[in-house]
Amino acid sequence: MSVTAKEVQHVAALAELAVEDAELPALTEQLNRIVGFVAQLTELGDLEGAGRYVAGPEATPLRPDVVAPADLVRPPAELAPEFIDGFFVVPKLGALEEP
Amino acid sequence: MSARAVALEVEGRLAELSARGLNATLSWSLAALEAEAARVDAMPGTGALHGMPVALKDNIVTTELPTTCGSRILEGYVSPFNATAVNRLRAAGALIACKANLDEFAMGSSTEHSAYGRVRHPLDPERVPGGSSGGSAALVAAGAVPAALGSETGGSVRQPASFCGVVGVKSSYGRVSRYGLVAFGSSLDCISTFGRSVAEAERVLAVISGPDPRDATTLDRPPLLPVPAPASLAGLTIGLPTEYFPADLDPGVKAGCDRAIALLRELGARVVAVSLPHSRYAVPTYYIIAPAEAAANLARFDGARYGPRFPADGDLRALYRATRGKGFGPEVRRRILIGTYVLSAGYYSAYYGRAQAARARIVEDFRRVFASGVDLLFTPTTPTTAFKAGEKTADPVAMYLADIFVCPASLAGLPAMSLPLGRSGGLPVGGQLIAPGFEEARMLAVAKTLEAQLDALAEVR
Repeated sequence: MSVTAKEVQHVAALAELAVEDAELPALTEQLNRIVGFVAQLTELGDLEGAGRYVAGPEATPLRPDVVAPADLVRPPAELAPEFIDGFFVVPKLGALEEP
Repeated sequence: MSARAVALEVEGRLAELSARGLNATLSWSLAALEAEAARVDAMPGTGALHGMPVALKDNIVTTELPTTCGSRILEGYVSPFNATAVNRLRAAGALIACKANLDEFAMGSSTEHSAYGRVRHPLDPERVPGGSSGGSAALVAAGAVPAALGSETGGSVRQPASFCGVVGVKSSYGRVSRYGLVAFGSSLDCISTFGRSVAEAERVLAVISGPDPRDATTLDRPPLLPVPAPASLAGLTIGLPTEYFPADLDPGVKAGCDRAIALLRELGARVVAVSLPHSRYAVPTYYIIAPAEAAANLARFDGARYGPRFPADGDLRALYRATRGKGFGPEVRRRILIGTYVLSAGYYSAYYGRAQAARARIVEDFRRVFASGVDLLFTPTTPTTAFKAGEKTADPVAMYLADIFVCPASLAGLPAMSLPLGRSGGLPVGGQLIAPGFEEARMLAVAKTLEAQLDALAEVR
């Protein structure tokens, strides 16, 4: 299974990552190298019905459903690139396009 | 010695290492060190780490020093809260010494992937200290601090500990809170410790361990307690997994392991060959699971709420793409793309589903071997000693294979550690101990006994 430059562009769009045309050939080659490497898992044969390992506790511990104040030493306004009247300011969302 | 005197000494050492071009630190200041010292000097002096300076990998957040994760996308970011591990260190009387350089977002095995320049190996500036916690390892090895925190996703503490000749300990998944550790691969990430000695790494691990209501993956087990070193290892069975001793293992690494195995026998341990046949699939399994989780975790870095914003003409998505495209370095971009690819429609089962099943088989191998009466496993930590800078940067897969012996225990969530075994050609050789889940005490006790008998500075061939 090999990855084409078009697929790299498609995946980059899904990941909201700008990729310059000039870097596309090298990136495609590297991704193919990695995808080729991980493909060795096909040697394990049919894994349908194989068990899954889940890291961590067997059940998610629940905590009381109460609002607790976040213990922050500086407010979001000081962290955000742009923040006005309690809102994070960003450019408008353009027309929705399917990547 | 007052904490203030300690702080001044640390400051002097950090300045000297900085002048030498080690590039192991990303932020530190005399003012911050003095403030830490004043706080500690006002404490009663009974804390488990009273007066101990500890360096933090720069993906662990503090409110006083910036947290960049070695990335341009977090340049200048200062967290509004402290990690639980940091709060526990400080409550125990430790001084936060500095933030240490790392591979960007902990993705790498050489600390060459930091946006702020590569870290030099303390013994040979042409070589790498390992990674991704290379800055923390180098600072301990160079004597700047007795202990440091790093983080492991696929061996990022044990591997640099081996390269730098220090102790690196990863606990069981769920033993240490990750609250305030910038997430990379959530089913794998563990804050882990470095020390000059087993006892130092253990003391720090003991302090940061234990459940935390702010991290639902911490297990409800009491904090670790430091353990004594037994004089004899009689009654203990140590397994040597044949797959971890390949024919092409570096001769110096092999010689170091052979010496340690002979010592284990002399000390009374029964040493047996075992097999972990699926461990050979650990690196490819890891390079599906970890990037998939990273692609999701790193979605939060978008230039909207914190961190720098890279200007773009156009709408909100143009802003996201420009910020992420320019803010992330090449290895992080590769992993986000791979992670997005393996999770995308049509490929999910073929890659992610298959990797999940392979992971279960790797875990089952460990379970079977430990159930057969093996108490601990012993392996080399890395296939070679520290390699030269630039040697593996052109081929991402060659770099990934530097983690071939450390990755399996990460996938299985097991406690594992690297211990200096000796030197080969002047470079440290590390040996790895792997324990069953939550048997850190057994692993650390054996490591202390070995440490006391091994001359880690001696040439092994």
